[in-house]
Amino acid sequence: MTQDTNTEQDLGLDDDLMAYVDGTLSPEKMAQVEARLARDPEARAATASWRHHDNLIREMAQTADDLPANMRIAALERELATKLQARKRRAFLMGPALGRIAASVLIFTAGWGAHGLFSSSSQLRGAEYPQFVSATLTGHYALQYASMQQAEFQPEDLDMALDWMSERMQRKIDSPKLERLGYEVESARLVSADSGPLAIFHFRDRQGDRVTVSITPHAPDKADYALRVVRLDTDSMAYWTDAGLDYSIIGDVDVGQITTLAAAVRE
Amino acid sequence: MSLKAEVTLHTASLRRYALVLTRDPTAADDLVQETLVKAIDKADTWQPGTNLRPWLFRIMHNTHISELRRAKTRSDAAPDLPEPVVQDHQHTQLELKQVLQALDQLPEAQRKPIILIALREMSYVEAARSLDVPLGTFMSRLGRGREALRKIVSGVTAGKLAVLNRKGNI
Repeated sequence: MTQDTNTEQDLGLDDDLMAYVDGTLSPEKMAQVEARLARDPEARAATASWRHHDNLIREMAQTADDLPANMRIAALERELATKLQARKRRAFLMGPALGRIAASVLIFTAGWGAHGLFSSSSQLRGAEYPQFVSATLTGHYALQYASMQQAEFQPEDLDMALDWMSERMQRKIDSPKLERLGYEVESARLVSADSGPLAIFHFRDRQGDRVTVSITPHAPDKADYALRVVRLDTDSMAYWTDAGLDYSIIGDVDVGQITTLAAAVRE
Repeated sequence: MSLKAEVTLHTASLRRYALVLTRDPTAADDLVQETLVKAIDKADTWQPGTNLRPWLFRIMHNTHISELRRAKTRSDAAPDLPEPVVQDHQHTQLELKQVLQALDQLPEAQRKPIILIALREMSYVEAARSLDVPLGTFMSRLGRGREALRKIVSGVTAGKLAVLNRKGNI
């Protein structure tokens, strides 16, 4: 409701004036309301008064921040956070998304998907297909990859993801620490590969460049891999074994940078 | 932000809100504690993915209403809220006292929207959700409440000026 003259009763029902006081107007609308206030003293007085009362109330509320710490409240906070975390995890595990994922895992033939995924790039490179055929092949392998995926987690659910991955891998999995190198985790996935469960972490830096880290249990019948750094066509990759887990890291960076990133993961 | 950090952040908001509702630090902490105990009991009613703040404030509102009812039963009268925790030696504190006393004269349905929005910690939609009322109802109560508060405060101020005038002080 916007009007130039108001009765006192109307002012309180004027959404524009409310939003003006609460700072939720767009710049254009703000200018319109300010122009109106310049010629409407009653509305000007009302908005000034509402804002002033709000400020007084807020200042009084903020004195709560100076109250002594309350240990009982702190203990209840911890208990509530634990309960809500459990609630979140339970909701995820019982939710429709995981149900669909579980169904896709059931129909997945172990080994076939991994083979298709990891051989796809060489097949595409080795043959000269028209571009639309390459695009179709990429789509086909992407679907195969999706069927291998057991779950995907967003950054805010990373703690829950790590718990779940650790449970699936029957050992403690920690998130790679790449933050100090300017990378933030974008998502995490758990994939069923030939070798067993594979935890994949996708990171991104401020320029939007991605780095992917994978962690999987090391096969007990194979020797540990010493750190090896490889230069690919456009990407660099490093892989190694540490404490019963195989790690790999790949990204569109040079060999020196991938070595630095690998060292950060190994820390 | 982790859930623990989120709960800590919201608890600080609950404490601020409770202090304005009760005007007494001990009563405010009691209200926050009771709210958290109920939230723990009701943790399964929270929908993951939805904002935790309106959910917690809704629990606090219900807890506060129950407490007011209990107080009313005990005193068989509208609850006498304790005096504001302010000192009278400063002008702004006098103003605050006037505003808080005026707030007490408003119906509960108008008082809570005013306080919630004054805290600037929730949007209109979230605040309406925390009070379990439609957005339109919330906006109407907020607007009417703000205007009623303004009239009460300006009436008090005008009354004081009239008294001073009669005494020849101004």
